Amino acid sequence: MENKIVLELSSVDMRFGGVLALDNVSFQVHEGSLTGIIGPNGAGKTTVYNIISGVYKPSSGTVFFMDQDITALRPHQITHLGIARTFQNLRLFARSSALENVMTAAQNRYRTSFLEAMFRGYLVPAARPDDDYRYSFLEASLHVGRWGRVERRLREKGMELLERVGLADRAEQAAGTLPYGMQRRLEIARALALGPKLLMLDEPAAGMNPEEVLELNGLITGIHRDFGLTTLVIEHHMNMILNICSHVICLNFGAKLFDSESDEDVDIMEIAKVREAVQHNKDVLAAYLGSDDAKEGEAV
Amino acid sequence: MKKSLFINAGIIALSLGLAFYPLGGYQEGIVILLCINCVAAMGVSILTGFTGIFTLGHAAYMALGAYTTAILTVRYGVHWLPALLAGGLIAILVAWLIGVPTLRLTGDYYAIASIGLGEAIRLILENWQSFTRGARGFPGIDPYTTRGLAVAMFAVLTILMFNLLDSRLGRELRASRDDDVAASLLGFNTPHSRMKALLISAFYCGIAGGLLGGYMSFIQPSMFDMMKSTELTAVVVFGGLGSMTGTLLGSAAITLIMEYFRDISQYRMLIYGLLLVVIMVFRPEGLLGNREIWDFLPHRSGTHSFGKGRRS
Amino acid sequence: MSFSLSTLIQQIINGLSLGSVYALIAVGYSLVYSILLFSNFAHGGFLVVGGYACYFLLTQWGYNTAVSMAGALAASGLVAVLTERLAYKPIRERTPITLYLLIASMGVNIVIENIFVVTVGGRIRALPQSTFPTGVFELGGGVTVSASDILSLVVAAVFLVLLQLFLTRTRWGLAIRAAACDLRTAGLMGVNVTFLIALVFFVAGLLAAVGGIFLSVRYSLYPQLGSITTKAFIAAVIGGLGSLPGAVLGSLILGLAEMLTAGFISSQMRDLVVYSLLVLILLVRPAGFFGRTAGEKI
Repeated sequence: MENKIVLELSSVDMRFGGVLALDNVSFQVHEGSLTGIIGPNGAGKTTVYNIISGVYKPSSGTVFFMDQDITALRPHQITHLGIARTFQNLRLFARSSALENVMTAAQNRYRTSFLEAMFRGYLVPAARPDDDYRYSFLEASLHVGRWGRVERRLREKGMELLERVGLADRAEQAAGTLPYGMQRRLEIARALALGPKLLMLDEPAAGMNPEEVLELNGLITGIHRDFGLTTLVIEHHMNMILNICSHVICLNFGAKLFDSESDEDVDIMEIAKVREAVQHNKDVLAAYLGSDDAKEGEAV
Repeated sequence: MKKSLFINAGIIALSLGLAFYPLGGYQEGIVILLCINCVAAMGVSILTGFTGIFTLGHAAYMALGAYTTAILTVRYGVHWLPALLAGGLIAILVAWLIGVPTLRLTGDYYAIASIGLGEAIRLILENWQSFTRGARGFPGIDPYTTRGLAVAMFAVLTILMFNLLDSRLGRELRASRDDDVAASLLGFNTPHSRMKALLISAFYCGIAGGLLGGYMSFIQPSMFDMMKSTELTAVVVFGGLGSMTGTLLGSAAITLIMEYFRDISQYRMLIYGLLLVVIMVFRPEGLLGNREIWDFLPHRSGTHSFGKGRRS
Repeated sequence: MSFSLSTLIQQIINGLSLGSVYALIAVGYSLVYSILLFSNFAHGGFLVVGGYACYFLLTQWGYNTAVSMAGALAASGLVAVLTERLAYKPIRERTPITLYLLIASMGVNIVIENIFVVTVGGRIRALPQSTFPTGVFELGGGVTVSASDILSLVVAAVFLVLLQLFLTRTRWGLAIRAAACDLRTAGLMGVNVTFLIALVFFVAGLLAAVGGIFLSVRYSLYPQLGSITTKAFIAAVIGGLGSLPGAVLGSLILGLAEMLTAGFISSQMRDLVVYSLLVLILLVRPAGFFGRTAGEKI
């Protein structure tokens, strides 16, 4: 299946002071694929996400999204182009209700088209606001015109997505008071509300018990299938990635160790080595922090 | 949507009461002052309470509004209504100039710049004798701020404020307040979000300043010093950050307290400072926390409260 | 006023002298900011406490200059620690929102200022002439240096060097620098955070007192003297919030800018120049000269 390339990283380096966090990382993500990025803690997985979503600017290298160079764009512009992500250490608006969290994202839906992207050149985001979800300042201040219609639409969209992740009955609850696993699912709903072309999940299973992980696997593959959404997942639960992903990229010490697409016959020994590295890392952290859970909740 | 009608109707009812309930001359003055203070406090509230940007210089925007309106009406014979709006617009312009460099950053940058702004505006007003008559003040302003005008302005601006908070803008501001990074990754240009809040905020304070000039008939740079700025922010904190009804309640309470204890002015500031500290230590969430007053009413589940969900 | 070399040199001397006083204040403020990440507006109050303590030790109780200064420094430091304990600590333990600390610090500033207004009155006082050397030295060409200029420069330099030595050469200094990077982690590594924060406030209060005494000598003493800390805050922003070398550099720049404006343009313009400088810096280099731009972990 020769699908279009949605995302491409080309020789990306990232330096923090003297530390080389990413070393010449390149990979491609094809349209409609479910790609997993694995690697031990500190391998640079989240840094890759931060660079793609524009939070960090790479020290060198280029990021292309649908043939457009997005390296220099700011985070909100990249979001407008159609990349949505979740966060490893949850970043919900804790005091707002679950529904409001999703509506806040839904009001920023943008339309992008390939054709426009090609004509508009590289640096201008070829995205325009989705008018179905907009109204003007005047309409907002007087509560007239499209305000009522659009607010109803946002609410419906929000409820639809909450339903999809199984949170419809918690819609009015403050996000910060939801159980941990639900907060993770709410983050996914919020990212989906942006109507993205590429969804990036950052350790969606962190802090979940095996049953919840299983449930989550179903949710992710379901979303990937139903929305036909190109999806990128970071995990260090190796089994999860190997179970659901068609394309696996492995990072270690900031460099790409292997890529199931380019390395035709991946050496099983390599995978075993990574698994060992992951296990080793867990042991080391467990020794330091005394518990497995402490590590899962903490940021890398 | 039904709730929006309800709120608007409530504000109109309250305003009709304020405008037509028979009062003596002294109480009428207090009503005017109440309306003016509420307008200014709402301005600070949308910035500090709903967008999370701390300010210590909003009296400067009041000063800009007051002087612009006064100079236009007295010197150039402009009608008070366009003059009042011009005051609001000048405040917006200055806010934009000060916001561009400071709102790109998160942190205390705007707070410190706002002190600088407040002092700079006061200095200009004091030293530009030929235009502002300096520190002695600017007398002879036509007393256009009647009870009717003050209440009408209060009603219109309050309705606009509550409507804006219950809209995409409200969600945008709260998002950038609660988590700047998450907001920008949900597609918000957060420096722009902060700027929107600042401009609205400056407009409200500019209008409040213009109304104050028309009520006092006399304005003076020292009326808009850092104490006034502190008071504006304190009122918002007292009412509860992130609660607009709390702001209105807080403003009304502080205005009345200040009015009734005018005689012991020496101890007033001491008590006021202590109050600030004590509130922060014992009830930092203020009167209403971050909830609106109707969030306290028992309501059917499914009725969406704008802004906040229930808290644990 | 026309340009002349002697005016230039004179104003540079005055500017450095003023800047050194700002530096003492700005460094203390920046120190607190670097640890707790909030603007401590009570810093101006600490300064006023120092000024009045020195005044009363000298005039009412008749102590000599050295004892009075030491007493003033201690008083200011203690008030700072007390403020932290009574007002900031309960807030810190309750919420991570620094806005509440900021407002409480504003309240503390108002309280301290008005305690003096209520108890000793708002009138302007001067430290006795005999307290500090008052000689004026002629440098030629009409340029003069007053003894108090030299004194404030020297004392500021001594205190800043002592602070630097304390921060780099002692265990607690190291702990403070670690805490400035990450307070929570420093706590996890076994640093006694409560004591450390108290120490930081004590040092900040002490430096504020030195600044307060010099300001009372240079100008005069009154309850609202603390409002001059606004300038020190601006200096800290120019240098980069939370950076100590930045605070010193920003202070010197500010002092020079003020005095050169006073010398060559008009002394009424000096404050305006200060604020324009602030806006300019925020426009071209918003994080200041030494500002930390490293963000949080995403």
